[in-house]
Amino acid sequence: MSASDESRQESAAAHRSPERWRAGLTRFVNVIPHTRELGLEVLEVAPPRVHMRLPWRDELLGDTERGLVHGGVLTMLLDTVCGSAVLCGLPAPEVCPTLDLRVDHYRPALAGQPIMAEARVLRVTGAMVFTEGTLWQDPQRPIARGIGNFVRLGPRNTPPGFAEALFGEDDHA
Amino acid sequence: MPEGFHDVAWLARTRAEGDVAAWLERLPYARYIGVTATPDASGDGLIFHLEPREHNVGNVLLPALHGGVVAAFMETAGTLDLMLSAREPRLPRVVDFSIDYLRTARVVTTHARCQLLREGRRLANVQVTAWQEAEDQPVATARLHLVLGAPEPNDA
Repeated sequence: MSASDESRQESAAAHRSPERWRAGLTRFVNVIPHTRELGLEVLEVAPPRVHMRLPWRDELLGDTERGLVHGGVLTMLLDTVCGSAVLCGLPAPEVCPTLDLRVDHYRPALAGQPIMAEARVLRVTGAMVFTEGTLWQDPQRPIARGIGNFVRLGPRNTPPGFAEALFGEDDHA
Repeated sequence: MPEGFHDVAWLARTRAEGDVAAWLERLPYARYIGVTATPDASGDGLIFHLEPREHNVGNVLLPALHGGVVAAFMETAGTLDLMLSAREPRLPRVVDFSIDYLRTARVVTTHARCQLLREGRRLANVQVTAWQEAEDQPVATARLHLVLGAPEPNDA
């Protein structure tokens, strides 16, 4: 990453404290019906890095007999955590749909335990945001890794008040 | 052992009967997002369907389905389609998965059709196309690599 990219990302993040980002991304995942119903939690945000936790529930199962999580849950989680990292990796939050996502399944995830997710922005260009994410239950044993590329629709295609809605009405950043 | 994916006889029987519904019943997350399958009227394969449930929404402004839910649907479809079309009853495991999003998936029923591009002794490559109104306007395409597990004896 070049020095200019670094400073641009820092200036975007410097506006708001990690606690403010955590509250903003918590609001973000709570507005998404799928992640709200699954109870996804935002643990920590250190732009452009995001750390989340998906609590256990029986609906996440894929192999009931062996007690393994459905692979699709892991893809869904990587899409969400990478997409959330995008918001805090930009100069200002923008609407960025997923262009593509690639997931490598290292080992099965086990029933009964929460799944931890972390993602970070690797690079921002005028058109794209490149991200990567990792999932684990035991920190020494990653479950899956994802590479997600997101398209910047730009401020023109971002609804007015998007950042204000994310950070609450009292946002003065 | 109770009936289920690891019961070789059950797997062979449900496969011979084309009973994909019995497989979906045993996949809680696929049931949660609302995946079903019907025979393809224009061929001998299957068409998979994803119900437009409220909890599958990922963007309330558009509104649109959660891209990750569409991915999970296509991963499920690719895996089950392979279980049905493979040369023998096998329990595949997804090694890696890749999805390209082509259009916004609106909150209506989504369909998927799969194509087994290669079935080796250990690995398979499955292509999945998902659409809503028209099959020639796909909302996403996906590709799965799967390891084909050897059928295990009942006492394994």
